[in-house]
Amino acid sequence: MTRGLSVLRVRQLTLVVLLLAATAVAASAEDRWLHVKVDDSGGDNEMVRINVPLSLAEKVLPCVHAENFDGGKVKIQGNVNGVDLRQLVEAIRDAGDNEFVTVRDRHDDVRIAKAGGNLLIKVREKDGESKREPTTVDIKVPFTVVQALLSAGKDELDVTAAIRALRTQGNTELVTVNDKTESVRIWVDSRSASE
Amino acid sequence: MASKTWLVFGRILFGVLGAVLLLGLVVYSEGAVTVYVHEKPQGTWVWVPVPALLVDAGLSFVPDRDLRDAERQIGPWLPAIQAASAELERCPDATLVEVKDSHEHVLISKQGDTLRIDVEDDSETVHVALPVGLVNSVAHQLQGADGPA
Repeated sequence: MTRGLSVLRVRQLTLVVLLLAATAVAASAEDRWLHVKVDDSGGDNEMVRINVPLSLAEKVLPCVHAENFDGGKVKIQGNVNGVDLRQLVEAIRDAGDNEFVTVRDRHDDVRIAKAGGNLLIKVREKDGESKREPTTVDIKVPFTVVQALLSAGKDELDVTAAIRALRTQGNTELVTVNDKTESVRIWVDSRSASE
Repeated sequence: MASKTWLVFGRILFGVLGAVLLLGLVVYSEGAVTVYVHEKPQGTWVWVPVPALLVDAGLSFVPDRDLRDAERQIGPWLPAIQAASAELERCPDATLVEVKDSHEHVLISKQGDTLRIDVEDDSETVHVALPVGLVNSVAHQLQGADGPA
């Protein structure tokens, strides 16, 4: 009898813990913010800060009906040469962490890799003979977000689904671009302010 | 006799003051739209505060034809505006957009129930503040205006 009661109590406790965990996950998903930070020290000293709750983007984007952007989905422009991006991404997802594409020429080093569930794209411009500082680009997108982005169809990107997937991720550094005068940073976290 | 007249007069005055105060409180309970424009240097300045309740009520006096015109122009964006304002009402205070260069500073922020747009450039200063709920309400009324002419 006592053992039955303690089993029941453990089950209740487990249920409470699970509910609390679910609430915490839901709360953290609610409070995700997308931040964009651009600083340009050349010329007019431009500075741009954008802080948008992902929940707002998720609700608003499906209501926008523009030429190539309809109901939260954007039509892919240009030719992808018959490549099925969805299948390509799924093949990469199923493979282990690796570097899949490396392009080196006189001007740039481009690397596309998979590491820790993220798709990584790194571009390193070579300084060559120019006097300006070479540009570096780092893009890190969780695979779940890439999959959601490609979930709409062959010629469409589902931006709303990608944002929904992004809301379930932790703090994520999405894009970093740096050169001598300009820096761009796009990231997601739970803070409403970028600094 | 005179004291009785003063007593009645005092009661009426008290009642009127109370009614005005109550009306003011009700009118401003929904917030106010304020627009401030200052042309530089030492130019004219304009400050217009309008209670949100009056904006809302005022729309019902706008001719249907004009409302339909407005709806036709921004109609495709109304669902997005409604969704954005509803979501903004929920979200905490934040600077949503800030753009700054050596000539101009634009700030769009949410403070409490108010959406603020502040623009400062070499020639003028503009501050606009409006209750977020009002945006939703106006969008809703405009959407309802899409009836037969």
